[in-house]
Amino acid sequence: MPDFKRLLIIVLTLVVVTAVAAGLLAVANMLTAPAITRQQEEEYRAALKEYFPQVADFKTETLEEDAFDLVYDAAGELLGVMVTTAVQGYDGPISYNLAVDKEGKILAIRIVEHSETRGVGDVIEKPQFQGQFIGKSYLDPLQPGEDVDTISGATISSSAMIDSIRRVLAVVAENFLRLEKEEPFDITAVPDGTYLGSGEGRSGDIVVEVTVAGGKITVIEIVEHGDTPAYMADAAAIIPPQIIDQQTLDVDTKTGATESSEGLVEAVLDALTRALNPEEGGESDEE
Amino acid sequence: MKNSYLADITRGIFQENPTFRLVLGMCPTLAVTVLLKNGLGMGLAVVAVLTCSNLVISSLRRFIPEQVRIPCYIVIIATFVTIVEMVLQAFVPTLYAALGVFVPLIVVNCIILGRAEAFAGKQPVLRSLCDGIGSGLGFTLGLLLLSLVREIFGNGRQSWRRGWSMRLPRICVPGGKNSSACQASWNC
Repeated sequence: MPDFKRLLIIVLTLVVVTAVAAGLLAVANMLTAPAITRQQEEEYRAALKEYFPQVADFKTETLEEDAFDLVYDAAGELLGVMVTTAVQGYDGPISYNLAVDKEGKILAIRIVEHSETRGVGDVIEKPQFQGQFIGKSYLDPLQPGEDVDTISGATISSSAMIDSIRRVLAVVAENFLRLEKEEPFDITAVPDGTYLGSGEGRSGDIVVEVTVAGGKITVIEIVEHGDTPAYMADAAAIIPPQIIDQQTLDVDTKTGATESSEGLVEAVLDALTRALNPEEGGESDEE
Repeated sequence: MKNSYLADITRGIFQENPTFRLVLGMCPTLAVTVLLKNGLGMGLAVVAVLTCSNLVISSLRRFIPEQVRIPCYIVIIATFVTIVEMVLQAFVPTLYAALGVFVPLIVVNCIILGRAEAFAGKQPVLRSLCDGIGSGLGFTLGLLLLSLVREIFGNGRQSWRRGWSMRLPRICVPGGKNSSACQASWNC
């Protein structure tokens, strides 16, 4: 029995010590939490002032989990949006602010709190990582390896940030700045006729002849190109039928013949644009 | 008796200085002593934690069973460290940001657990209190001396008196042109 009694004392001691510790921490938290919140708000306002020097007022809107502060100057003009959002990083949530100007371009990224590995994942706080986003907008692809890079060794932290920034930028542009991606080309507005247009292929210009009848593209003929015939054949087999079928220029390109495909789409768009603006038409302006 | 309390304090500062004699707590020492104010802040945080933890551990020394003393010490120390961390974050946010991860790491600072195990767990309350203050001040003194030297050599200037800066000789240090000491000499 003395063994049991000793065990009980050990357990009780641990329970009491930890319980008292928890109680003390709760009290300390209660006392310091308001000051910490106030501190963080002050820091936030200082950052707002830094990114938008003419800030006079802001209005907070929430959408799902994120807070969007619409920033106005003294005249009531919208200067931009400061977003408060969070994303799951490598080790817990990363909460950050994204300052976007009224054209949808990134002004600054401000990491508020994170628990990424010091010396590895905390690269998200550094200019080396953040710098590549400044000036980018919702029109940029913001894809790892394309126009922004992840940081090797901190791939999870950095790609989480890239994905989140891309998403937030799109939300801001669409909901608060009323900006949208380029309008798809309105084919029905093109008068009937046959038009020439050119685009840039893999090597040299691609010239196409596009026939429009009744507001629809009916024929796309490749007049001239300098690309490798095999690749162009691949592109020609897939791009014009897609455009004619779907009556859109937003088509999938042919893998392996990307540049020829994109050149073709560009040439068709060029032809249709010339059709809409005949005064600019005539000779294709060489690049 | 009075003398013995005083001796407890001075022992921690001189004969058993944690930084220079015991060589304990080297990790935070090396990490935060780049600026004098960081060294001072870290030192005072350790004084607060060490004094409180010594006090509490010594008062509870008769109640804590031998087998679980280390877990109990750690819980007590961690509680005070967390409280210090909250207070710093609330009232001295710049220092909190500068010290970063080294504030929570006070929990595993060997000075604190060392004093708890070697002194506070066996000695009466008032003596333990004095020992905590002494060792804390000794640690602070170590940090201050190191950061005094490192701030000047690292930045070529100091931050505690306005309008005074030191022109460093052009010295070659490992790291070459890009090391901060050399940069300071290029810029001065």
